[in-house]
Amino acid sequence: MSETEQAAPRRWRIGGLEILLVLAVLIVVGQRWLLDLFDAPALQTASTIFVSIFIQALPFLVLGVLLSAAITAFVPPTFWARALPSNRAAAVPVAGACGLVLPGCECASVPVAGSLMARGVTPAAALAFLLSAPAINPIVLASTYVAFPDDPMIVVARLIASFAAAVIMGWLWLRFGKGEWLRMPSRAHLEGATRWHSFRLAATHDFLHAGGFLVIGGLAAAIFNVAMPQEWLETLAENPLLAVLALALLAVVLSICSEADAFVAASFTEFSPTAKLAFMVVGPMVDLKLMSMQAGVFGRSFATRFAPATFVVAVTMSVLVGWWLLS
Amino acid sequence: MSRELQGIVLLLVGIVTLRISWGTTYLNYVKEGMRPWLLISGAVLVVLGVLAIIDVLRGRGDEPDVHDVPDAHDEGHDDTHGHSHHHGPRSAWLLLLPVVTLFVVAPPALGAYAAARDTTNSSPSSRVLPPLPPGDPVPVFLSDYVTRAVWEQGVSLEDRTVELTGFVLPTDDGWQLARLQIACCAADAFASKVQPVEVPEEFADLPADTWVTLTGRWVPTEGEPTVDTIPLVTVDTLTVIPQPENPYD
Repeated sequence: MSETEQAAPRRWRIGGLEILLVLAVLIVVGQRWLLDLFDAPALQTASTIFVSIFIQALPFLVLGVLLSAAITAFVPPTFWARALPSNRAAAVPVAGACGLVLPGCECASVPVAGSLMARGVTPAAALAFLLSAPAINPIVLASTYVAFPDDPMIVVARLIASFAAAVIMGWLWLRFGKGEWLRMPSRAHLEGATRWHSFRLAATHDFLHAGGFLVIGGLAAAIFNVAMPQEWLETLAENPLLAVLALALLAVVLSICSEADAFVAASFTEFSPTAKLAFMVVGPMVDLKLMSMQAGVFGRSFATRFAPATFVVAVTMSVLVGWWLLS
Repeated sequence: MSRELQGIVLLLVGIVTLRISWGTTYLNYVKEGMRPWLLISGAVLVVLGVLAIIDVLRGRGDEPDVHDVPDAHDEGHDDTHGHSHHHGPRSAWLLLLPVVTLFVVAPPALGAYAAARDTTNSSPSSRVLPPLPPGDPVPVFLSDYVTRAVWEQGVSLEDRTVELTGFVLPTDDGWQLARLQIACCAADAFASKVQPVEVPEEFADLPADTWVTLTGRWVPTEGEPTVDTIPLVTVDTLTVIPQPENPYD
């Protein structure tokens, strides 16, 4: 109350702090009602899945924002000009290959790709990195190997299909992408008094920003997870093409961390290896939480074009590589 | 969102992360191996939050805005920018959702509802399971039991008394013993199910999600093994137990 009274003479406007206080009071008063509401098994299951996705992604998001803040604050923009080929078409595969070394999942790569663009890396190259980093880093490849101990070719297939899809998307962006679709992440406002201060400002901003969109994505994934009938999956498994599409769509909906998706893919025993490959190629590149985070960081008009195109390219690459290596 | 609020939100997310990973609550959501990373990221968020609040108290909270926005202290003019960059992202409010859910509701581990939705039984891990260790009864993971009983035709289970732990999944005629396995987090959970036979009368209808440990013996099932096959186990003894610290297999 005292907050509102203090604020009132200054301006008749309710600030964030007051909203937070009111929320806190409402939650304390309504706790019993909330608990009753969450007694329904479907809602309880959805809330557990929602919280799990958030908790699972959190350390990777923190790692990602610390890395991206370090890029903003400590790596001079000239570094990227020297590190990447000046020919933009050549920079795309180089940036895609850099994805091999970022040990994280997709939540980490969104803020990192954003700060790369802000630091003058050509968007096409930053996007290739955004797509490849969560799909082909050593942790993901190792977990794929563990999940498919009898089928090491699937690790190779995953690496090739994911890398190819990332590079093709980068080139497609170079050729057809329009600058106006992309809201270039501006970081001018994050210049602090010292480098350390800039680092903190960037990390805070990126975490709050991307974290909020992670919440939306996690919520959508949890609702789908509980609302989707399981039976239709089994009927789709019989048709080879539908099986690929079904698992690719499932990867979008489930929004599983790329470091875990191999174990889930392996559990779809009735599906073809190519369908499982599609699940693992699409998941790290297009899923609900990622689309939400991309819309937040790069703008909605970017996400609505980029995500469907990535889906098509990723599925095509999975089918081609699967047909080549896994049949 | 003002800088002080940004600090508060960071602090809240950090505290809730530390709180669930300090004890065992986090095991309801993710694997045990995540704990150090949760503790570290919780600590990082708390530090960032505290530093942001200190910035505000020292009066340098809005400093970075001063060069480009003269009226940085004026929240009312925020809207003219469309995207509220100068006061931190509005999407940050959404971070309060998991914080409130964890503090107020603390969703329990997945149970019978999720297990019932998984229409197939757990599939064999492709490695060949070693013979059962000595012990009478010998504790066996539910997923291992399914593999041994269905996919290895029970060779390793013959003449052994096993001890299985899981929760009650009610079915049309009685209940199954079920347990979920997670690869990474609860979003990827899949179920293992075993059908107890010769259940003592007093345990014939236990409520869903009751945790039990039972000892018994493997009984062969008819027909070829499929992903839907649910293996059988006799019930010699049955004890109702509290939920194990790690609810997943």
